[in-house]
Amino acid sequence: MSNQTATVATTTHKPPSGQKSWLRGVWHFLYQHRRGAGSLVFVLVALEIVARYIIDNQLFLASPTRVYQAGVALGRSGELWTHIYTSGIEFILGFAIASVVGIAIGALMGLSTTVRAYLEPWVSALYATPIIAIGPLFILWFGLGITSKVLLVVVTAIFPVIINTHVGLTNVDQSLHESVRSFGASKWQLFRMVRLPSSLPFLVAGERLAVARALVGVVVAELFGARAGLGYLILVSAQTFNTANLFVGVIVLAGSGVIAMAVLQRLEYRLSPWRVRE
Amino acid sequence: MSVGNAPVKLSVEGLSKVYESRQGSTVALEDVSWSVNEGEFISVVGASGCGKTTMLRMLAGLILPTDGRVLLNGDVVRGPSADRGFVFQQDALLPWRTLLDNVLIGPDVMGRRSEFVEEAKRYISLVGLDGFDSYYPHELSGGMRQRVNLARALVVDPEVLLMDEPFAALDSQTREVMQAELINIWDQARKTVMFVTHQIDEAVFLSDRVFVLSPRPGRLRQIVDIDLQRPRDLGVKRTARFAEVVDQIWKLIEEEVRAGIAEELRDAKRQREGVPE
Ligand SMILES: Nc1ncnc2c1ncn2[C@@H]1O[C@H](COP(=O)(O)OP(=O)(O)OP(=O)(O)O)[C@@H](O)[C@H]1O
Ligand SMILES: [Mg+2]
Repeated sequence: MSNQTATVATTTHKPPSGQKSWLRGVWHFLYQHRRGAGSLVFVLVALEIVARYIIDNQLFLASPTRVYQAGVALGRSGELWTHIYTSGIEFILGFAIASVVGIAIGALMGLSTTVRAYLEPWVSALYATPIIAIGPLFILWFGLGITSKVLLVVVTAIFPVIINTHVGLTNVDQSLHESVRSFGASKWQLFRMVRLPSSLPFLVAGERLAVARALVGVVVAELFGARAGLGYLILVSAQTFNTANLFVGVIVLAGSGVIAMAVLQRLEYRLSPWRVRE
Repeated sequence: MSVGNAPVKLSVEGLSKVYESRQGSTVALEDVSWSVNEGEFISVVGASGCGKTTMLRMLAGLILPTDGRVLLNGDVVRGPSADRGFVFQQDALLPWRTLLDNVLIGPDVMGRRSEFVEEAKRYISLVGLDGFDSYYPHELSGGMRQRVNLARALVVDPEVLLMDEPFAALDSQTREVMQAELINIWDQARKTVMFVTHQIDEAVFLSDRVFVLSPRPGRLRQIVDIDLQRPRDLGVKRTARFAEVVDQIWKLIEEEVRAGIAEELRDAKRQREGVPE
């Protein structure tokens, strides 16, 4: 969560441009997040102590310094980048397809009651289904390569996008709708001028859910069978009892999640400057 | 008065509206007929819930009558159009548009935004909001938003202005200034105005005629001619004749308000007893 407040801080307290402005920005950021940073440091130190002196077994727990060393080694050999690249492509493709197709389907459902009547039972049933469980079937159908992963990401991430788009487009304040309609606006104008902008917050919320689901989708799809990727790294590390490497994979994933959320938050602020910020 | 032999601008014939909802059907308006001449200023008063908003929405074409019809320049109204400007009871500004962009909604719909930017700024300054062009609605006070509503309806220069309690959210001083301003605008542009209000003195001060509606079902109870000299300034409010007319209308409404409240109480009681816990 701390990344959300981070973007607020950097957007609202823009430091004056100049030579040392970025330094001041960093200082400002650290100051704003001194509590979060403090708790992070505390936990890392505690983990280090526990891993070194209490559970001195590399199988169960890897100390932060060892994880760091493992990460550096994986980076040097180039292996880490291959995994990140593979998973990244799967994530980006899957998420992009889920977004575009999901928004299109959600918009159709929001605009046409007929389409909605046909699709609603499917969407509500599949939204709550852990589709990820049929991942092995996807590997069977589409092979060990990237296709099966992308498709699994699409089907896990698409439902929150569809539902939020649909809900956003249907929950429009009637008085706003009327105020524009009173000028004789056409259906299309009403859509563009009222329904679309008022559904934007819903849309972004749907995308946030989709990011989280897509990340899980990538990893789980790779666990079911792959030749590369962060999920594959985690799987192989677990099978070879290399706890440090396993944690490298997990931490990279966590970092990606944080970055993706921060990007979305930025996008939301860019798209909706009218919304009240805390 | 100012109207003379002006042609009929707006009229309704046997206008009725029945709302169907889960609680049953509500007759909001029943068999209302009147006609208004070009350039006339009409106020509509009546107890809460007597169908004033409903009537105005049918004039705007936002809803269709259950029975009867609305005629504008002799043609049946079938839907909304920029030739009738609507000022809403609740402020209905788009939160994602700045003040200026909200005022430009009408021109945007007409696809003629650039022609109207100067006009929009003129009206913004007319309603006293100079310098607030780039503010978002949430950064404005309730009264300011209400004034934006007014500017938005005026900017496209509609033939008929339909105003639903446009000054309700204003403090009494601003309200008086806006009344005078509205009279000014009306004087210059000679628009036909239908003005809904709960303030009888406001209705009398502004209007050529006052339509008094009775509630449940809403009917046109009486039309009161206001024979006060024009142009009127705020001083007219302190004359004996003014007080007399206000009193006359208030007496008409008073009974209705009491009857309405009594009926509401009866309804509520019936509902309580009808629905077992
Ligand atoms: N959309 C609707 N569906 C069902 N009933 C409605 C609807 N709109 C209004 N009504 C009913 O119609 C009647 C008239 O409502 P209307 O809003 O026209 O009253 P009004 O005279 O404008 O009241 P106020 O002075 O309080 O604004 C009321 O009894 C109300 O409950
Ligand atoms: Mg009303």
